[in-house]
Amino acid sequence: MSAGGEARLEGLRAGIARLDESLIALLAERVSLAREVGAEKRAAGLPRLDPAREAAVVRHGTSLARGVGLDEEEVREILWRVVGLCRRAQEEA
Amino acid sequence: MVITLRAGTGQAEIDRIRERAESLGLRTFLTRGESRTIIACVGLVEPAHQELVGGLPGVESVVRISKPWRLAGRAASAGSTIVRAGDGPGAQFGGRELAVVAGPCSVEGMAMLRETALAVRAAGAGMLRGGAFKPRTSPWAFCGLGIEALEFLAEVRRETGLPVVTEVMDTRQVDLVAGHADVLQVGARNMQNFALLQELGRIQRPVLLKRGLAASVSELLLAAEHVLAHGNRDVILCERGIRTFETATRNTLDVAAVPVLKAETHLPVIVDPSHAGGRAELVAPLAFAAVAAGADGLIIEVHPRPAEALSDGEQSLAPDGFAELMARLRPFAEAAGRTLARPAAREAA
Repeated sequence: MSAGGEARLEGLRAGIARLDESLIALLAERVSLAREVGAEKRAAGLPRLDPAREAAVVRHGTSLARGVGLDEEEVREILWRVVGLCRRAQEEA
Repeated sequence: MVITLRAGTGQAEIDRIRERAESLGLRTFLTRGESRTIIACVGLVEPAHQELVGGLPGVESVVRISKPWRLAGRAASAGSTIVRAGDGPGAQFGGRELAVVAGPCSVEGMAMLRETALAVRAAGAGMLRGGAFKPRTSPWAFCGLGIEALEFLAEVRRETGLPVVTEVMDTRQVDLVAGHADVLQVGARNMQNFALLQELGRIQRPVLLKRGLAASVSELLLAAEHVLAHGNRDVILCERGIRTFETATRNTLDVAAVPVLKAETHLPVIVDPSHAGGRAELVAPLAFAAVAAGADGLIIEVHPRPAEALSDGEQSLAPDGFAELMARLRPFAEAAGRTLARPAAREAA
């Protein structure tokens, strides 16, 4: 690979690393909000899992993904993971 | 391949071990038990991998997994898995408390579902079952109310606080059912529907996997492996009787499958005595046998008026029969080292 090519690759990788940092920061923020939701639900005597809400979150995210040209199935899988992560965080709240 | 870590291994070392295994093309699954922490690695494991990972700081031992159920096997987990369907101890599978799921075979309407849910909750059940989509041998049999039944289940769940277990028959229904229920059940006839199992692996909800009517224990474990391999770690196995030459009962309850499964897998194992016996009078004795054999829970069909049931009426208990079963179950649960919530306590909570 040429020196110019290597520099471009490095630059792109640095961009990906910055985005990963943002993604993790956003996930942490989402988990923290989910913990607050968990505390509110407990105070109200509601169950931790709200199936309709989870399904709606996944559906909404999937339609956003479609709008920006991402593979819907892949995004759906990621969203289910995120939803599961946040539900488990509610248990700890 | 299973990597057992030395006691007190730090996070930086654990990260380095996982990165090494992942750089070899393997997927890693970490579990922390009370006495040990392990990393299960799956993928194309080569003999050289063992050495490449074995020399890293923090690694106590590296062994190849010899069983085909790599993730479901005991070796792949630091302890027994507890699957949480809801918030209380009665809504967990695999804990000290026996999990009891009860309700009608099919949801036939709102009133009968509510009546059954209140009755089974009062008797001490921690979760509600009810079929919305029914796989029937004959297409002319009652095949369930579908979406309407899911809505009834969601409503009764709100009213009673009981987590809901219901069957999903088709990959196209997964999101729909997940939008209404807590635990998604795979019926015996779908145990090897691999597309469905994979789809359920992708969503993060407990899956109750029933043993196929002619499936071996190893086929059941490999079916669970499909769900686990796609990323969902919450699988509950259910023995519900197998087809044999015996015709006195609907199926033959394979009681021995319970201790065999418990020895092989870290996943919770429950028993369905209703389908196994096929007759109401057999439900209690089979339930007692299941608990004595070490089952983590039971799933039982209860109908307010079994004689009028649209499906499986002959094997459904009436509410008073279910309450009597629960009362008689207690000594069996205690003998097996289990607890069973007192009906009154459950009702007050």
